[in-house]
Amino acid sequence: MQKLGDFKLPHFFNYPPYFTYSPRFFISVLQPVRETREKQIQLWKELILDYCRTQKIFIIRLEEEFPLFSNSVIERTLSHEAREAFLSALVAEGRAEWLDKGRRNCLILWHRIQEWADIIVNFVKDNGFEDSVMTVEEIRSGIESRGTELHGIDRMILMRALKLLEQKGKLAIFKGTSTDDEGVKFSV
Amino acid sequence: MRRRPGIGGLQTAAAARDQYRALGENVAKLRTDLMKEQLATFRSQLEEFARKHKNDIRKNPSFRSQFHEMCAKVGVDPLASNKGFWAELLGIGDFYYELGVQIVEICLATRPLNGGLIDLQELCKLLRQKRKHDREAVSEDDCLRAISKLKTLGSGFEVISAGKKKLVRSVPTELNKDHNQILELAQAQGYVTVDEVERRLSWTHGRAIDALDTLLDEGLAMIDDGHRDGKRCYWFPCVSSISSFGADN
Repeated sequence: MQKLGDFKLPHFFNYPPYFTYSPRFFISVLQPVRETREKQIQLWKELILDYCRTQKIFIIRLEEEFPLFSNSVIERTLSHEAREAFLSALVAEGRAEWLDKGRRNCLILWHRIQEWADIIVNFVKDNGFEDSVMTVEEIRSGIESRGTELHGIDRMILMRALKLLEQKGKLAIFKGTSTDDEGVKFSV
Repeated sequence: MRRRPGIGGLQTAAAARDQYRALGENVAKLRTDLMKEQLATFRSQLEEFARKHKNDIRKNPSFRSQFHEMCAKVGVDPLASNKGFWAELLGIGDFYYELGVQIVEICLATRPLNGGLIDLQELCKLLRQKRKHDREAVSEDDCLRAISKLKTLGSGFEVISAGKKKLVRSVPTELNKDHNQILELAQAQGYVTVDEVERRLSWTHGRAIDALDTLLDEGLAMIDDGHRDGKRCYWFPCVSSISSFGADN
């Protein structure tokens, strides 16, 4: 099986037609065609999420090279249109968000914001930080979060999850003098 | 003087006819009895044989297939009913019913990938994966037998031949000769191009396009526009190994 680093690629990655996105078939009313195309989108969605999760990738930039979008072994590359279509399918499911109107950058949510919030709560409980104060940077890259999913988390996602928890009264975010020392007071 | 036909003559003739018939019936009966006896002997020997080689029949697929062949020759169908001697002795009915159910499951699960047409070898492979906890090996012959039993359900399961391959069809798609020839052609590389179809089969452009379009509409073909020379390729998942591209989950 082909690998990308330590990531095992699924079989369909070596089957050339999966790299061709033909919009005319997506609007087809014919059941078999629709089934095949839906399966194609689904396989790509799963692959993108899996890859980003294992490689801790939070943002895919369409204008930059992304290893998943071409396969040199079979000499196939996803067109820009195809990349946008597959990412849009993730957006429609709430597993991704466009960061700009031009749809050039896409935030990948292999955990939804709510799930990230749950992870933070568990992290706080596991470490006995129920009433502690931490900086945002500490959560992202401190010793405490090492080995957890929070380590290296995208700042934007972390802030959104923290704000969600703030709304629920589980913590308070307070501003420091620079963005580096934004702080969080937990009250889980 | 010529004797006129009288009652006596008619009676004699009738009596003779009766005797002939009685004799004939007797002979026929003797023959039938003999045949019945032979069949009974044969059947009991077949049963004896089955009993003796029960384990071989269960575990050895090639032995099983030969046993089926032998049964077919004498008009015994061990799969005809799930009740009675054969089923009780061999549990062979259950075995094929189970296979049948699993075959249906595999065909349904892979349909979005192959449009409902799957290579028999591929099907067997997936079937074995599914049954890896069972000790009994499954052969292609077993698959074919199980599929032939599915036919009685009228569910449209059918085995078709395309070139060297046997394909199992689980959708009510009618494939005509043209489609079949394309499938055969595709077996070499897994795909065909319009040019190739025209050239190899000596078809007109329209005929090739028409057949390929139908295969696309049926979900049996997939388009690949990424080939280096820019020519559109039509791939056929049913003639490539599925495990080389899909259904790995």
